[in-house]
Amino acid sequence: MRRSTELQSAPEAVWAAALAEMDGVPASRLVAMLRLDPPSAVFAQLASERLLALPDDRDVGERWDRCVDSAIDVTWVGDDRYPTALANDVAPPPVLFFQGDLDVLSGRRAAVVGTRNATAAGRAAAFGFGADLASSGVHVISGLARGIDACAHRGALSDAAFDGRPIAVVGSGLDVVYPREHHNLWTQVAESGVLLSEYPPGSEPLPYHFPMRNRIVAALAEALVVVESRHRGGSLITVDEALLRGVHVLAVPGGIHNRSADGTNGLLRDGAAVAIDATDVLAAMAIDHRRLVPRGEPRPRPAAADLAVYQACCAAPHTMEGIALQTGQSLVQVAMSLARLDQVGWVAGTDGWYEAIGAPLR
Amino acid sequence: MLAAVRSATLLGVQGSPLTVEVHVTHNGLPAFHVVGLPDESCRESRDRIRAALLSSNLQWPNRRVTVNLAGPSQRKGGSGMDLAIAVALLAANNDLPSESIADLGFIGELGLDGTVRRVPGVAPMVAAMGDVRPVVPMDGYLEASAATKQDVRVVSTLTELVMALRGDAPWPDPQIDSAAADPPPLPDLADVRGQAMARLALEVAAAGGHHLLFVGPPGSGKTMLAQRLPGLLPRLDTTTSLEATMVYSAIGATLPPTGLIVMPPLCAPHHSSSMVSLVGGGTANLRPGQISLAHGGVLFLDELGEFSPRVLDALRQPLEEGVIRVARARQHATLPARFLLVAATNPCPCGGGPPGSCECDDGARLRYLRRLSGPLLDRFDLRVGVDRPDVDEFLDGRGGEPTAVVARRVATARRRALAQRGLLNSAIPAAHIDEVVLLSDDAQRLLRTELERDRLTGRGYHRIRRVARTIADLDDDSPDIVGLGHVALAMQLRVHLGVSRPARVA
Repeated sequence: MRRSTELQSAPEAVWAAALAEMDGVPASRLVAMLRLDPPSAVFAQLASERLLALPDDRDVGERWDRCVDSAIDVTWVGDDRYPTALANDVAPPPVLFFQGDLDVLSGRRAAVVGTRNATAAGRAAAFGFGADLASSGVHVISGLARGIDACAHRGALSDAAFDGRPIAVVGSGLDVVYPREHHNLWTQVAESGVLLSEYPPGSEPLPYHFPMRNRIVAALAEALVVVESRHRGGSLITVDEALLRGVHVLAVPGGIHNRSADGTNGLLRDGAAVAIDATDVLAAMAIDHRRLVPRGEPRPRPAAADLAVYQACCAAPHTMEGIALQTGQSLVQVAMSLARLDQVGWVAGTDGWYEAIGAPLR
Repeated sequence: MLAAVRSATLLGVQGSPLTVEVHVTHNGLPAFHVVGLPDESCRESRDRIRAALLSSNLQWPNRRVTVNLAGPSQRKGGSGMDLAIAVALLAANNDLPSESIADLGFIGELGLDGTVRRVPGVAPMVAAMGDVRPVVPMDGYLEASAATKQDVRVVSTLTELVMALRGDAPWPDPQIDSAAADPPPLPDLADVRGQAMARLALEVAAAGGHHLLFVGPPGSGKTMLAQRLPGLLPRLDTTTSLEATMVYSAIGATLPPTGLIVMPPLCAPHHSSSMVSLVGGGTANLRPGQISLAHGGVLFLDELGEFSPRVLDALRQPLEEGVIRVARARQHATLPARFLLVAATNPCPCGGGPPGSCECDDGARLRYLRRLSGPLLDRFDLRVGVDRPDVDEFLDGRGGEPTAVVARRVATARRRALAQRGLLNSAIPAAHIDEVVLLSDDAQRLLRTELERDRLTGRGYHRIRRVARTIADLDDDSPDIVGLGHVALAMQLRVHLGVSRPARVA
């Protein structure tokens, strides 16, 4: 095995990053080897077996440069910095790339996950869970996917006063932002919390990465909240992984005709705990939920004229015609009410369908 | 002997006058030559004319005949010059008195039995001939008399024509088959159950000339709604009517009993349509496309996303200018194409529905929407979601307002807009919009928040104000200032097309 002199003295992290590139070695074997030997020794041993096409030294160097350029750090099983929650897991990632502060992982952690095809109500709920958990000092774990995942993190980051420190586990290299529109959220999470991936920089978000990513989410979580999920949605994989690890699973109930809630309602039928608000999650994590500061209703109460329209939107999503039909009002009146309600955040529209969002009006 | 007869040929939707010269001589071998850039169908006229003359007991000159189509230096096609050639031939052969054909122009195809048949484009050809008195086939009378101030003469056989020209018989009277040509009644809005928003959108589109996009799942009645839009539009004005008539005549379509197209037409080309079929063109003779057939009326594109992107992009220039300029190496033509564009599309591959019921992931939705070119989507002032009607509404049997009632409101609103601003609201230039569309304070505040929340772009802002102006015009006593209700409704008529909120409404 050739080794250039400069790499001989390279830090162990360089070799750890190189190990992450090797497809042919089973993760379990890599974990077992890394528990005994430092990455450089593991690399040398694998190289001596000559079973695999190993990346040559120049590649190793270049890849490490790529990590350094993107400010991506690396830790591995056996490293002092490797998160304890993962070290004791059944299937820990042998090498973990991260951006941000790994200490966040020693705090209290709850995962908030759900479908990408979320309803407006689901997104608002995820936002609420994210904000409330963050304000109680619980770090929100999620997958930075579209829909529920992103909303949970947006909630956690919504108020600088909470000092929310979100944890995101992604299915691509940390320099490959996916989906691209989450670029800002992605950097925000890295700045205030930590961004994790077991895939080396430059890795594309391949479909099979996401179930693997979900296992890390489950392994890190003390409690898992599923906000909305389709029947056989990807979040249910996270649930299976969580059950395997004895993590509390909570589900947010949804309307029985809401397809985006089929999966979560199914979980409730199967005996998952009910999550109505963040106090349920805190209770499941045995945290004193009394320290949850109740967020007052910041929205001004809707005008009397708009109440009928608001109530029509509460039961189920409706089109404007549906609302006009239900309330007996003219289209102009309904349009005005919807505009006023939408402005202060009582209802939200998606593709012409309106639904009430946030805590219901009491 | 030499004779010259006036006729015309068709290019695009315009006629160009020409003179048919026939020279008959004893010198040389018997022959029949057509010169002056005839195409294949012109050369075939020799055989038709010979048969027609013989069937009509007239003499075929067994001499050397040269026919010259003297006119524009371009290829002349079609069988519409048969009649003119036959008349010139007879005159050159001294079978007709030459003074009898002096101020006449002839258009028509000859059958082998001597009948005179209609050809496409009688109206534009007659119009092009100017101050000569046109002689046309019997069933071309309507369009011909619509296109000229001259007295139109009709013939149904060559024999009749020869008798009339020799003075042996009077010119035949035109026979109008009025019963057969009665236009079928337009579909009525009263047939539509529910669909309040879509009805409103139709009304606003008709009143303000706003292009309209229906977004909804299959089976929600998008086609049915679009078919009812022409009924809401006013009858065509004189100029547009004449332009439309020229187009329909040029493709040889049956014209209504008055000879003029006065009802706004509806064209609904299939999404497999080629670009040429839509915008017009072709190599031999520039034929008008569907957008010209929709002149003054409605062009309905169902399944907008299935049209080829090239075809859709070709619509942008005519949408802007109201005409389409088709150019080929040898010739070019300007065809009228001012139409109201109505299109329909599914929101996503699965058809959509209430939130949470869509089965498509964001990628699939994006790919689907990307098929609709952004610049074209921008032309739609109105984008309205259509859903399957509520079952109760569907079954209760009550239809909505009939077309006549809505059309009256539309006419009032259009009159108002034209009287106050001189143009339809969709055409208000962005530079003047602040002066002509005054907003109430709360309406202004609503739009301001939408802009601040990045849910509205500058262009969308202008479009919403134009539409709001139209909605205000439709009010019984139309206010000068556009209020919150008008703006709120205008915003509802501009549904978001994209993956997820919050996002920009273009």
